[in-house]
Amino acid sequence: MDFFVTSLSGIMAIGPILAMVGSTLLGVLIGALPGLNPVMAIALLLPLTYSMDPLVALGMVAGIYNGSMYGGAIPAILLRIPGTPASIATTFDGFPMAERGEAAKALKIACWSSAIGGIVSAIALMTVGPLLARVTLLFGPAEYFWIAIFGMASVGVMVGTDAVKGILAAVIGLLIGTMGIDSLSGQARYTFDQTWLLGGLDLIVVLVGLYALPPVLQLAEKCDLKGLSAAQLRLLAVPFKPGEIRSMFGTWFRSSMIGVSVGILPGAGGNIAAFLSYNAAKNASDDPDSFGKGNPQGIAAAECGNNADNAASMIPALSLGIPGNVVAALVLSALTIHGLQPGPRLFHSNPELVGGFMFEMLLTSILIFLVGGAAATRVFAQIQRLPGVLLVPSILILMCVGVYVINGRPVDLWVMFAAGVAGYFLEKVNVPLAPIILGMILGPMAEQSVRRALLISRGDASELITRPISAVLALATLGMILWPIIKALRAKRAKA
Amino acid sequence: MNLKLTAVSAAILTAVTAAPAFADYPERAIELTIPAGAGGGTDTSARRLALILEELLGTSIAVLNIGGGGGSVGASQFMQADPDGYSLFATWNSPLTTVPLVQNVAYSLDSFTPIASTSETAYVLCVDAEFPATTGAEFLDELAANPGMYTYGNDGIGGTMQLAAERIFQAREITAIPIPFGGAGETLQNFLGGHIDIYGGSISTVLPYVETGEANCLVVTSAADVPALPSASGLEALGLGEHETLLWRAILGPAGMDQAIVDQLSDAIQTAVNDPAYVEFLATKGEVPNVLVGDDLAARLQSESDGLAEVSRALGLSQ
Repeated sequence: MDFFVTSLSGIMAIGPILAMVGSTLLGVLIGALPGLNPVMAIALLLPLTYSMDPLVALGMVAGIYNGSMYGGAIPAILLRIPGTPASIATTFDGFPMAERGEAAKALKIACWSSAIGGIVSAIALMTVGPLLARVTLLFGPAEYFWIAIFGMASVGVMVGTDAVKGILAAVIGLLIGTMGIDSLSGQARYTFDQTWLLGGLDLIVVLVGLYALPPVLQLAEKCDLKGLSAAQLRLLAVPFKPGEIRSMFGTWFRSSMIGVSVGILPGAGGNIAAFLSYNAAKNASDDPDSFGKGNPQGIAAAECGNNADNAASMIPALSLGIPGNVVAALVLSALTIHGLQPGPRLFHSNPELVGGFMFEMLLTSILIFLVGGAAATRVFAQIQRLPGVLLVPSILILMCVGVYVINGRPVDLWVMFAAGVAGYFLEKVNVPLAPIILGMILGPMAEQSVRRALLISRGDASELITRPISAVLALATLGMILWPIIKALRAKRAKA
Repeated sequence: MNLKLTAVSAAILTAVTAAPAFADYPERAIELTIPAGAGGGTDTSARRLALILEELLGTSIAVLNIGGGGGSVGASQFMQADPDGYSLFATWNSPLTTVPLVQNVAYSLDSFTPIASTSETAYVLCVDAEFPATTGAEFLDELAANPGMYTYGNDGIGGTMQLAAERIFQAREITAIPIPFGGAGETLQNFLGGHIDIYGGSISTVLPYVETGEANCLVVTSAADVPALPSASGLEALGLGEHETLLWRAILGPAGMDQAIVDQLSDAIQTAVNDPAYVEFLATKGEVPNVLVGDDLAARLQSESDGLAEVSRALGLSQ
């Protein structure tokens, strides 16, 4: 108890509070702009904080990280452009709601869900963190392989009405994922002797092109020169139905658990958490067909899942000294610069600082409620009123800037452009885009893990299913594939 | 205030380095290319150094991260820069001495002007408490007696860490199975979980587990012992001193730079690296300063490249 009081009083100073408020706002902005991402922002800002109080620096990290996960939902809902890879699943139901004039409601759900996911995650970090961290060590390459396959099986819900086209999209993603230097053999694949392809195609570059260009082109097609008047923007017209909020508690609980579980595993991330949460909500629903057509539960699941990943991803970093993602690695490097040694004793030797950071993760999640509150929602929703003739070039400029600063090379702009044109035509023929991104993320993870597992087992494939955790994961994957089929059969029998 | 400071330090510098033709260098911002993403070891060291260099040189330094291809993407792009002193390259040794051996890249050591090395650290091989060896000599004997029985994690196939280990293994005719991971953190996770037998990677990552007794570090890849790891043997003590491979960092320019500018930069880098604040920063990462300039640096690059070429040929990794 003492510890909570001391670490809380440590951050109740003007510096950390200003850092948290400012950086949460900044994070929302960074998340909302396609191309700009929290990793880059934190990497650029941290060196400037080396001479400051570490709690100010860490407060900034917490704010940017949590804020951006919510920020990504804003363009996802209003424009069908995910601000970050983790907000792809938010577009599925967010944009249909906005089209119906329920943008304000959708933004509000995204805000609440993000905040709740973040709070649950921060509480997990503060209470069961060290225990969970030891559990993650049981996950070796064989287990990671099954996690990737499990995620891939969730493509099933994203393929839309035409399974063949969904699988086609997933295969395109898998193929893109094989490009670049193969980390297990050192050989270059599909690089066509182009040096810039040695690193493969950058996920963010492809994402921005694939997801932001088609909606922009569609806006351009409308030739909208005038925009909406304030009266035409039907904000706040749709109140919550009685019981609607209560029905979200189940989704929030489920998504928080999924987000935390994905978050503690080094290597998995918010994007996978959002997809799995969305999938779980759809599977649990009585009316799965309403997903993708503007079901508020879809937004709640995706946004809660991706924020619940955040604080949890700090668990292996703070308890074991193993960074699970780049943000966690940056936090560890910031701690070392301030003279702390990451590792199993970090917490015991520096309870105020580490505890303070945990509180900052919690408080910045709560701040999302305020930042994304009613006033802000109204401000963001005004974007819908902008005439296409202003909106289209503005988004294009932001996309180009965002993509260019990732690697600082013009060729990425061409990749973005090519991905965008491809995305535009794929959408025209009803090929879903989400499986492409999922394939790009999970393909390399599945491939590298299975090859590592086989190297360790000297080529004995039975190890993939005989280890206890991998056996459980394999069965879960099987269940994931079969569940919708069983459900559909049952529904048919009930009707007959 | 800042502008004034900049102007003053620029004036001092110009006065000190009275090289007539280039008395004005630097008169605009310098672009520093880092062939790795933001946030990694090379990136944090270089950015920290750049802050000190900005003050010494009296100009601003813009950092450009170009990751990918184990550093080769950034190196390839950088070699096309003008050798006017306004484009510099802050790298670790692998993109220069290892990557060209295993990848088909457009650059070689001749594509660069060596300016100064900055810091270095050794790699380490560690085992858990149950491993049947407690000293470096016993460890190598155990591996030699059981070919193909043990797995060791490393930072990537054909990476400097793997070649550093294989260089030792070849000298002792050892066969161990390399398991490549994305970095030392991932290797540590798999080592602590018991998925691999031997941790291979940076010292700072594994150090906390040496203190808890979960990792027993037995061999470092430097010739000398490492004070922070009393149980580990340096290669000199194992009679393998000439097989030393380190992780080290340097700043280079494109080929064909003016000598006066190179001298001015290497002096500034030497001062910056030995700045007490920077030395302290390096210590938190388990690194020590080691500044080599000019021909000494070129010789170091060449001899490391030659030594690793031999190893990678034997492993069948060479282009």
